[in-house]
Amino acid sequence: MGENRIYSKVGEALAKGEFVLTGELEPEKTCDLSHTIQEAKEMAPYVHAANVTDSPLAIVTINSLAASHIIQEATGIETVWQLTVRDCNKIGLAGMIMGAEALGINNVLSLCGDHTALGDCPECKPVFDLDSATLIQLVREMVDKGSINGKEIEHPPKMHVGGAANPNADPMEAEILKIGRKAEAGCEFIQTQVVYDIERTIEFLEGIKKYKVPVFLGIFPMKSYGIAKGFDMFVPGVDVPKEILARWKSVKTDISDKAQQKEAYDQLNYEFFKPFISELKSKNLLAGVHCMAVHYTRIFPKLVDVIKA
Amino acid sequence: MTIITTKKPFEEVLGAIKEAKKIAIVSCGSCAAMCQTGGTEGAKEMAEKLEEKGFEITTVIVPEEVCDNRVMMKDFRKIDEDLQNTDAILTLSCGLGVASIVQTLEKKHPKIPVFIGTNTEFMGMTERIGRFYMRCRGCGDCLLNETGGICPITSCAKSLMNGPCGGMVKGKCEVGNYEEDCGWVLIYNRLKELGRLDLYTKLRPPRDWSESGHQRKVVWR
Repeated sequence: MGENRIYSKVGEALAKGEFVLTGELEPEKTCDLSHTIQEAKEMAPYVHAANVTDSPLAIVTINSLAASHIIQEATGIETVWQLTVRDCNKIGLAGMIMGAEALGINNVLSLCGDHTALGDCPECKPVFDLDSATLIQLVREMVDKGSINGKEIEHPPKMHVGGAANPNADPMEAEILKIGRKAEAGCEFIQTQVVYDIERTIEFLEGIKKYKVPVFLGIFPMKSYGIAKGFDMFVPGVDVPKEILARWKSVKTDISDKAQQKEAYDQLNYEFFKPFISELKSKNLLAGVHCMAVHYTRIFPKLVDVIKA
Repeated sequence: MTIITTKKPFEEVLGAIKEAKKIAIVSCGSCAAMCQTGGTEGAKEMAEKLEEKGFEITTVIVPEEVCDNRVMMKDFRKIDEDLQNTDAILTLSCGLGVASIVQTLEKKHPKIPVFIGTNTEFMGMTERIGRFYMRCRGCGDCLLNETGGICPITSCAKSLMNGPCGGMVKGKCEVGNYEEDCGWVLIYNRLKELGRLDLYTKLRPPRDWSESGHQRKVVWR
């Protein structure tokens, strides 16, 4: 990310070598974004940007581009617009990318998207005309060359494009080599799936180091024992370690005062993530952290402390 | 290779042919016979069920391959008299069979409607009778030379050119509750076995769908 192509705060931070913190906003099936805007306001002082999800689990929500724009306008927070290849072909995607530029969106995260079969319109036609790597290629052509399929765009978009990676993937090598393809496509930053296993995370990050793409580690501080348990049970491929679950459980069972419980959960998150992030930072494996704990904005001041380690 | 068919629910078939009284059954002796949706047995079963419902069966034929216009021209000549007295044809074959019959009869019997009693599932690989698997979608631009003989268009639920996606968990696919293999992990394992991970690391361009917007044909004479 050279200085001559900085289009956003995230791009600027990366160019300067600042450690990046991004949050996540998950607009729901509603046309009123006031709750999401409130969360954005709460995290804004602490993050470089916030991701805005694109119908996760293929459950229809308000369009992520519209939401990104509205959130930016209402709060001043910078967004990382999540865009999946599930719902639009290349024509639709390219049109939205130009629309994003016109709406002031300057970061996009290229995602495949959960399959339509998983969502609340399972009967609909999945698109997947491009994939997450070739969408990165499309963005880079539009931004760097100012064209689509070699055809000139009058006022091309200016934005940074990132991709996702899953350090929990098994077989891991299949995932590592896939990140090589994303890097070749022009991926400018990686945001990972949530991790809890430090050994595995180190192995994965060491594996993709050669591709020289800055990595924001995906973390999910757990607001309560219920959330931790649900996350462990319902997020495929991510296991919350048993000893962590036990620690969270003990807060629930041992502390009855709600305010004290909150403090205890926050402290547990701090104690777990601080050494975790610190070790990865000391190995030069991270360019930032991506916190996916939606509806848990009170953790951000502590997270800022965590990543300073 | 077999075109795999399954039986439509009988009530659905009845709904389709309800305006007719006299039915001719054309039951394919090839793929549909193998899938036990057509052939002699399938035709006999269907004829009996229709007769029970009060339909008159004017004729039953089991051509060698209903999808072959040449076969059908010959076979229809033999039953032309019966066709004069037929309200509708019920076909027990794949969709190609219906197309073939419509095309073969369009001059002589353009007013006879042609119905189908099966659903055409896919071009299938036969493991044994009763175990058929889709391994090729016939997309017209074969990638198998680069993917260790495993087709990503077919084996990946998203037909991705650069998989696996984030929906892969321990080699299984998010579609179907993690019971089916992830096609891209199969490709990775196969290419690794062959010592050709260089092919796996290749960034592939999107599929070219420009030739798929209309009915494809292969005409060389």
